[in-house]
Formats: sequence, C-alpha cells, structure tokens
Amino acid sequence: MQENLKLAFEEVVGPSNFTDQLIDLISYSYDASDHDHRPEAGLWPTTTEQVSKILSLANEHRIPVTPRGAGTGLAGAAVPNQGGLVLDLCRMNKILEIRIADRLAIVQPGVVYADLERALSRYGFFFPPDPASSSVCTLGGNVATNAGGMRGAKYGVTRDYVLGLEVVLPDGRIMRTGSHCMKSSSGYDLTKLFVGSEGTLGVVTEIILKINPKPMATKTALASFNVLQDAGQAVIDVMHSGIIPSVLEILDPNTIRVLRDHGNIPLPEVMAMILVETDGHTEAETSYQMERVMEVFKKNRVRDFKIATSVAEAEDLWRIRKSIGSVAATLRPSNVSEDVTVPISRVPDLMTGISTIVQKYRLPFVVFGHAGDGNLHPRIMYDPADPDQVKHVHQAVSEIFRLTCDLGGTLTGEHGVGLSKAPYMTWEHDPLALEMMRGIKRLFDPNHILNRGKMALEG
Amino acid sequence: MASPHDLENAFSKQIQQCSRCGFCQAVCPVYGVTLRPSYNARGKMLILKEVMEKRIPLNDELIETLFQCTTCGHCETTCPSGVTVPDMIRKVRKDMVGVGSCHPVLKGMNEVLEKQKNIYGETNSEDFGRDKNRKADVVYFVGCVGTYREKEATLSALKLLDRLQVNFTLIDEVCCSGVLEDIGYEMNKALVQKNTDAILATGASTVITGCPYCFRTFTHHPSYATLKERSLLILPMISFLRQFRFGVVTPKRVTYHDPCDLGRHLGIYEEPREVIRQIAPDFVEMRHNRADALCCGAGGGVRGAYPKNSIAIARRRLQEAEEVGAEIILTECNSCVHNLMNAKRSRQNFRIRTTAQFINELMEEAASVGR
Repeated sequence: MQENLKLAFEEVVGPSNFTDQLIDLISYSYDASDHDHRPEAGLWPTTTEQVSKILSLANEHRIPVTPRGAGTGLAGAAVPNQGGLVLDLCRMNKILEIRIADRLAIVQPGVVYADLERALSRYGFFFPPDPASSSVCTLGGNVATNAGGMRGAKYGVTRDYVLGLEVVLPDGRIMRTGSHCMKSSSGYDLTKLFVGSEGTLGVVTEIILKINPKPMATKTALASFNVLQDAGQAVIDVMHSGIIPSVLEILDPNTIRVLRDHGNIPLPEVMAMILVETDGHTEAETSYQMERVMEVFKKNRVRDFKIATSVAEAEDLWRIRKSIGSVAATLRPSNVSEDVTVPISRVPDLMTGISTIVQKYRLPFVVFGHAGDGNLHPRIMYDPADPDQVKHVHQAVSEIFRLTCDLGGTLTGEHGVGLSKAPYMTWEHDPLALEMMRGIKRLFDPNHILNRGKMALEG
Repeated sequence: MASPHDLENAFSKQIQQCSRCGFCQAVCPVYGVTLRPSYNARGKMLILKEVMEKRIPLNDELIETLFQCTTCGHCETTCPSGVTVPDMIRKVRKDMVGVGSCHPVLKGMNEVLEKQKNIYGETNSEDFGRDKNRKADVVYFVGCVGTYREKEATLSALKLLDRLQVNFTLIDEVCCSGVLEDIGYEMNKALVQKNTDAILATGASTVITGCPYCFRTFTHHPSYATLKERSLLILPMISFLRQFRFGVVTPKRVTYHDPCDLGRHLGIYEEPREVIRQIAPDFVEMRHNRADALCCGAGGGVRGAYPKNSIAIARRRLQEAEEVGAEIILTECNSCVHNLMNAKRSRQNFRIRTTAQFINELMEEAASVGR
C-alpha cells in the first residue's frame, strides 16, 4: 500500500485509530485458527461514517479489507490472508438501547458478549447463543459467524435473534435491513443473509437483537453409559420425550480417558458421559424435566447419574465439561478443533466414525459436543514442528469432513467456514447453491475487496 | 544450536502452547483501557512466536508492548492452555535488555538503583522519627513506596505496632530490588546484601513487610535465601495482624482490593478479609475479587513507563468500588494505594488506605473519643 493511501486512511479515523506498527500488524495476522498473514495497516473506526469512508476508499483503490471483532474465531475468517487493511471494530462498543417493552437490544458490533449479558441481567433478560468465548468475543463476530454455544438445542443460534442490521457495503453505501419488529414477512431477508456471511458482503455497524427473559432456575446432572450407542439412543429418545433440555453435552470415551489420566478428574471407565441441564422458572419445572430425561436414560441402560442438589455441585459437574479444552491442550503443543454437525440421530455414527479416522493416525484426540443439536467438537492434538503430524491432522480433518457430509451433515455448526473449511464447501453444497452464493458475493462486492479468499466465494 | 535468547530456551513450549484463543483479552488491564490487542497477552505471545521463528528480531519496535504489562497475572488465571505469561514477560524483558532494547524509564530505574538505595533515587534517609537498627524481636521492612511516597500509611502502620506493643525496629533498608527482575535486569546483589545484613544485625526473629512485593522477594527469591536459612519468620503485615483483636469497628462500608503480589501471585485472599471483617461489619466485595481482582495498574514498571494507561487502569478499579457504594477501600500494598489515590477523581470521596493504616485511624478516633 502506498504511503499516501495510508495517510488517507489515517485521516479518516485520526492518528490514534490508525496503526502500521509492527506489533499491531503481528497481532492482526492471527485469530484462534492455525492460519496467519500479515496486513499492511490496522484501523479502529469509531463511527459508521468512518467505516463508510474507509470502504469507499479501499474499494476505489482495490485494497483488501478484513473486518475483525475479538479475533477468537477458529476458522481463519479474521485472518487478512491478502494483506491490506484490518478493520478492528472493538472500539465501536456501545450498547445503544435496551428496550424491554419491544424485547430487543440495539448494539454496536464491538460490544463484548459478556457486557451485553451483564447489562441485560439487570432486567432479568439474556441473549441466548452463549458461545464458549462469551467473555471476550464480540457481537459483531457472533453475527459474522452465526455463532452458537451449548444451549443451541433449546435456544438456537445467533441467526435466530438478529432482527435487523446497519451495514456498510463495500462501496461505502450505508444500508439498513430488517426492522424492530418481532416478525416480518416483508421482502427478502437480507438481515439473515448477512448473519454468517463472515464479513464478505459488508461491514455490520449496528445490530438489533431479540432478547429472551432469563430462566431463573436450572437443574444439572451428569450421567455415564457403558455403551456409546446407548448414550446416542438416549439423546434420540430425549427428543421423542418432548423435553428439550437447555444443555445436552456428550463426552466420548477418549475425552473421559484424557480427563481422568491427564486432568486428575476421577471419572469412571465408561464409554460415554452426558451432561444435562434443564431450565425454567421454578424448581418444580426443572425437576420435572430432569426426571423425564433420567427416565429416558434409565431405559437406555444408563450406568449411573448424579443430579446436583446445590449450585456448588452443579459447578463441579460443569467443571468436568469445561476443563476438556485445557486438559486436552496439555497433550501436544497445538490442536485443531472442528465443529461438524449432523442430524441428531447420526451423532453416535459421527462419534464412532471420527474415532476410527483419528485412531489411524495415532494422534491424541477427544470428541465432545452439543448432542442436543448434533454439533460435535472433535479436537485433535499435534505438534506443528513435526511435518508428519501436521500432514496427518490435515488428512484426518479432511476425512472427518467427508464422513460428516456423507451423514447428511454440515461442515460447521457454529465456527464458520473462513479459510479452514473453504476447500470443502463443494462437498457440502449443491453446485448450483454454491454458484448462487458466488453470485450474491459479486452483487454486493464486485471488486472482491471484503475478506477475500474466505468461504470459497471466489472459486 | 542453542538460541541466543534465554526466552526461547526456557519457554518455546509455552509459546507454542498458546492456542491463540484470546480469552486473556477479557481480563488484560492494558487491553481493557486501550482496546489494542497487541498489548494483550495473546498479542505478546504472537510476537514472541514470531521472534522464536526468526521472522522478526527483538528490537526497540517491541518495547511498547513487551514493557507494557503490569505482570498482574490475571491472564494466567484465565488461560485454558496454562501459559505462565508473567514469567515469560520477565524472561523476554531480560532478552530485550540483553540486545539493548529497554524502555528508557525502566533503564533509568536500574541505573538509579546502581547508585542510590531506592527506586526513586531519593538521597535522604527516612527514619519516621525513630531510632533504627535497634536490637528487637521484629524488623518492620517498609519498602520504597511506603518510605518515600505513602509516608502517612507507614506512619500509621508504625503507630499501630506501638499500640499493639510490638517490640520492633526499622533498619537502614534499601530497595529489595525484586522489581529489577520484572523490568529486565538482575537482582542487585549489593542491595540484597545490605538488607540481609541489616536484618540479621537486629537479632530479630520476625520480619514484617509493609509491601507485598518485598514479601514475595524475601520469601521466593533465592538471593534472599539467607533469611530462610536463619529461620527468620517473614510475614506480610496483614498476616501479622491476624493474631490481634482491635476492639474497634467502623460503621462505614468497606471493600478490599486484592493486590496482585499478595493475591494472584501468592494466593493470600482470606487473611485480609478475616482481619477486615473484624473491624468492618459492612464489608462488601467488588465485582471482581480474589483471583479475579482487577489490577491497580501500577506494577511491572507500567506506572513509570506508561503513566496515562496506568491511571486509566486504576480508574476502572475505583469505578467498581463506586458501584458497590464503598466508602473505604482497603488494600495491602502501598503501591496500589498510591496509584488508586493518584487516579481518584475529586467527586469520588472514598478513603483509600492500607488495612493497618485504617485500623490505626479507628483506634486513634476511639482513643480521642475516650478522652
């Protein structure tokens, strides 16, 4: 990028919101994936008008622009793989309105998920998607990736809560989509088109979110099974029971072994564990749901289960699930974490299939995830300094994607496509559907300045 | 081939272990006030990764982030990959100094300690109106901040020891020099020797430190091993105070700020609360407390090198005290007191004190009422 162009960008945001210092360029080269590429400059816009001027200038000079939130994405969507500009939206971090009567919140994209949670909790409300990175990830990033979390089975994902957006298009025009209404049948749903578009179509500068009243009571239990298929069948039967637990997390035998052997967590030698949470307004309501779930588990030969009787006990059970990542991380210097998703009834097939694939390559791995919505997290640990291990990880991941697609699944339930899954998009999507996606990209961003190289849109 | 950088040998595994999840960004005080990810622990780890991979050299360009860390250790408590960030920061700062790249203010601090006896380069010897270096049961070791910046707090602490009839002495103390390790230098052996000799000369069996950093240095740094070998009991002031009953209470609402040197670095959370509850029935916790406490912004050389951000960090802490309606903020570190006082806005009228200072004030008030 020429110096005079850098100066022009700097003029838009002011010197304290522009950087081409090495330290910043390095930190903007990465997200939580294993991709990296250095940008030429970073910008911290603070207003929609600034974003508009930046994009219009970038469009005119064909400068690649990569929008970014907290950079916690696991698929490389925020990595500026073509250089150019990184647009860090974290300084647009105001909660503009909370309108309980209208059941919505209006936020800027840089608001951290946890900050909105805290603001809403004063009113007894919450924004349900609850991604694992909620303490740090931004709502703009949630929208860009259609982020989800452990409560997806009952509460859905980000897309289910976005009512409207303000978006700056690549040529600098500012567009409003959606409405402040709970429902609308009016025209194409451009709002939802932008959710999960990973910053390839425009830059979101304002978000209207539907919010939910927060269930005040929860009940937590942990169950173990001697046979993985029994656990899988139990999940399927829970769906038949009419109860939708707020959490239904499954742990495969590798996960249980790793927690026991490397995390000093005294778990039994079983083939599967399921963490269940039911929620509602009263203790009676959550207990009733939990009893129905346990009946289903008993029919499916549950080995044993523990229902927490206090907050502290519930926290102990949660700790088991929440320590998987940190315990697994100790096995090898690096790891890859995927988020493949299949129809709920195929969860056991996907679990055993993943095991068969990864075992071939003799790498440590765990499989756990959100059984209630069919979203599993295979995590494979490896040493990036060993070319064989790197090769094997890539082969294993590729085979897992193949298997997922064969089971009628999707490459990504909540992380997004980014760079990591772009090569596999043709496996999942109808060629015509993919061509339509590319057409949409061309319509919004004919010069391909926005987040180029992501989501297989240039293929 | 061995790497020229100490960091790489000691921590290459740790640098790789950083999974780049960015969870540290939720708690990093410097990120919190700048919203600049290169200052966060992940930003620092990425820079070290590129240094290790020989993609960039260690040089002056990196000073701004590598020397802008309060070493509060909050990132370490949230890291799911177990990266020990403050240790790595200390190591890489040594490497930076090794290649001649150091923040000028911190370089100056090391130079001052080569010539003077305290971090401020003060030449007068404070005695707080007492004979020093006496034979006594207890040595009270004040620390640089308490000696030269928060004298009121120290005077109060000494008066409290008098009230409690402790047979103690001050010594001709010099900087414990622990801070040098934080800013890229080695412990100053001459200073260590002076302190060790002065303490031993009193014949005391106990050393009470007025500063949690000095306490950490005396108890955890090998250069002060002699104190341990001579079976000296070394206590931070708050642990010493636990054995006493003060017979005074305040009706005011009191909160406690965990200094990172006592809290996250040493795990001492409950002792101060035990003592404070005795004197403050209306004790409240700030939203972030214990291992999750917010940093005051003073540590790791940040107050000296980046005063504007240091104050901004302290203001976030004061904001939390305001949120819980505290009238008194107690802490166990003069450096925290100093920074929080500097950051206090005129409309914020809470008192910021060390616990010992506040107890002494309460006892003083009670005594004057009694008269």
